[in-house]
Amino acid sequence: MALLQELRGLPLINSGVKKTRTVCGYCGVGCSVDILSKDDRIIGVQPAMDGPANLGALCVKGQFAYDYVHHPDRLTKPLVRREDGKLHETTWEEALQVAADGFRNVEQKYGRHAIYGVSSGRTPTEADYLMQKFIRAGFGTHNIDNCSRA
Amino acid sequence: MSNPLSDLEKADVYFCIGTNMTECHPVAATRMKKALARGSKLIVADPRYIKLAEMADLYLPLRVGTDVALLLGMAHVIIREDLLDHKFIAERTTGIEEYIAHVKQFAPEWASEITGVPLKDIEKAAMMYASADKASIYYTLGITEHICGVDNVQSLSNLALITGHLGREGCGINPLRGQNNIQGAGDAGTAPSDYPGYQSVLKPENREKFSKAYGREMDAEKGITKVTALELCGEGIHAMLIDGENTVVSDPDRAHCEHALKKLDFLVVIDIFLTETAGLADVVLPASAWGETDGTYTNTERRIQRVRAAVTPPGEAKPDWWILSALANTMGIQGFEYDSPADVFNEICSLAPIYAGVDWDLIDGGQYQWPIPYKGHPGTPRLHEDGFSNGRAILRSIGYRDPAEVVDDEFPVWLTTGRRLQNYHTRTQTGRAEGIEYLAPEEYLEVHPDNVQKWGLTDGGWAKITSRRGEIKIKVKATPRSPRGTVFASFSFADTPVNILTGSGYDPTTHTAEMKVCTVRVEPL
Repeated sequence: MALLQELRGLPLINSGVKKTRTVCGYCGVGCSVDILSKDDRIIGVQPAMDGPANLGALCVKGQFAYDYVHHPDRLTKPLVRREDGKLHETTWEEALQVAADGFRNVEQKYGRHAIYGVSSGRTPTEADYLMQKFIRAGFGTHNIDNCSRA
Repeated sequence: MSNPLSDLEKADVYFCIGTNMTECHPVAATRMKKALARGSKLIVADPRYIKLAEMADLYLPLRVGTDVALLLGMAHVIIREDLLDHKFIAERTTGIEEYIAHVKQFAPEWASEITGVPLKDIEKAAMMYASADKASIYYTLGITEHICGVDNVQSLSNLALITGHLGREGCGINPLRGQNNIQGAGDAGTAPSDYPGYQSVLKPENREKFSKAYGREMDAEKGITKVTALELCGEGIHAMLIDGENTVVSDPDRAHCEHALKKLDFLVVIDIFLTETAGLADVVLPASAWGETDGTYTNTERRIQRVRAAVTPPGEAKPDWWILSALANTMGIQGFEYDSPADVFNEICSLAPIYAGVDWDLIDGGQYQWPIPYKGHPGTPRLHEDGFSNGRAILRSIGYRDPAEVVDDEFPVWLTTGRRLQNYHTRTQTGRAEGIEYLAPEEYLEVHPDNVQKWGLTDGGWAKITSRRGEIKIKVKATPRSPRGTVFASFSFADTPVNILTGSGYDPTTHTAEMKVCTVRVEPL
């Protein structure tokens, strides 16, 4: 089993391992963890003994389910749907312009209440704040919600 | 949560209802287990004989969706046995006479009939909870994901109020939040009813404050909820911006949801993977993930904690704050000139009174739990210690209603849904983690062994489940965890899309879907 073969604790004794204190990204308990990284890749996660929520405890997801971060399926470039009906990679400049034009077109055609924002309970608070500000400052409406109803 | 996580080690009696804590909040459960090892008592109410139930001193196997009846029966016993906290009631609540008159109509015998919980156990639970010095309530989506979610929460609140189990160590009403930052999302104002810091959009002073801060006139009335917005796609709502939510798989009634998003003129999705939802978008913007982003999360005990980037995002993926600022700037929306997440956080602190006492530099150690009303305030680990912010707490008279769907000849089985320890939500993350793939590679339907036999199923074989909204194929697992007549599955696997079946109804106040109850037919395949 790859999980064991990799012996995730081993790189600890190697040099060049960086420790970064952060908070687990799964449930709402908010366990403090140290990300162990080397050569810009996450190689392990350790529970923080002084974490106020977890006092050194951590569950199977928090401890082991981090490899998605470096998964080859990660999106690395913006995508726009072209006339062939498919999503194609593009530059940030074009993607942002297409997105901006799309929202403005809908606003012009149907009015400012036709645009809706769905924010996430997974992203940092700063992302949520800017989502609601985008809707409120951009359109003057309160057409914003998050996923807590689902 | 009204109380801090550290109080999980301090109660004499725990009443856990609708929470699969050992699987969904395992570390919180660990803290409670310490108290149980020291002799504290545990009451568990859950339709399924979950691990937490195995640990319980008293297990109440209620039928799905009958929580209000159980809680009315318990309240009746507390009043009958005069286990009320008269001082707390007199000083801090209102409406006790009406409440007592209401509850007296609902004897525990009635509750036992509806819930299927033995009468003596309802009585015992009521007495254990009410007579303890420190008793605390813990719940999660098993309470809220019902058409009567608000009624369920208010029923729990009534129990805490009449027994005075609020505003003290080891007490309180404690919902464990499901997502790492769902508390922060609410704090930040991502709701159609509230500006950041839970400031109502209906109050003129808040409207004035934010119109000034954001440089344009804000609407005086509430926006619509996501549930309503999905219903209005193509007829009122024509464009959506979705950040980090796999709406298609996570929301009830998948066919309806996918159909709705396809009716939009324009959809932009910000995510880390090309999820089922992102696949429907006109523009997909690649975001940085956990471990690649600086910012803050606020946890279930209202603790504001820093998250920090350890590695750089792949390719051209960017942090959400950068993406949203760039999009707003491209559209010419004012006020998005941010250089860092610190700038954004400090703006939240300047506008949300519950965050007023902190700034980016103060939260490094994660020691603050909101409200922190002013600089120098230590934060508020425990709510309601000195009183309620809006005066007296109201004891509400709540009645019992059946779930949106009730078993009948055509759909004779109850289906309830939830989560499992190893997987998180729609598996966009845990489905891409090797060890998790090994531990929990597929979904299965939990069926009581008697039902497996009676319905002609085989353990490990395939079954077809049909609801009023659709049908799916799923493997069967015989287990006494499921009560007879009720089956369980998680919604995590896109290839076993359980949410094709759900979506029978919504709570009228919160628009939360009744994910925990629908009726189905189970047949062998």
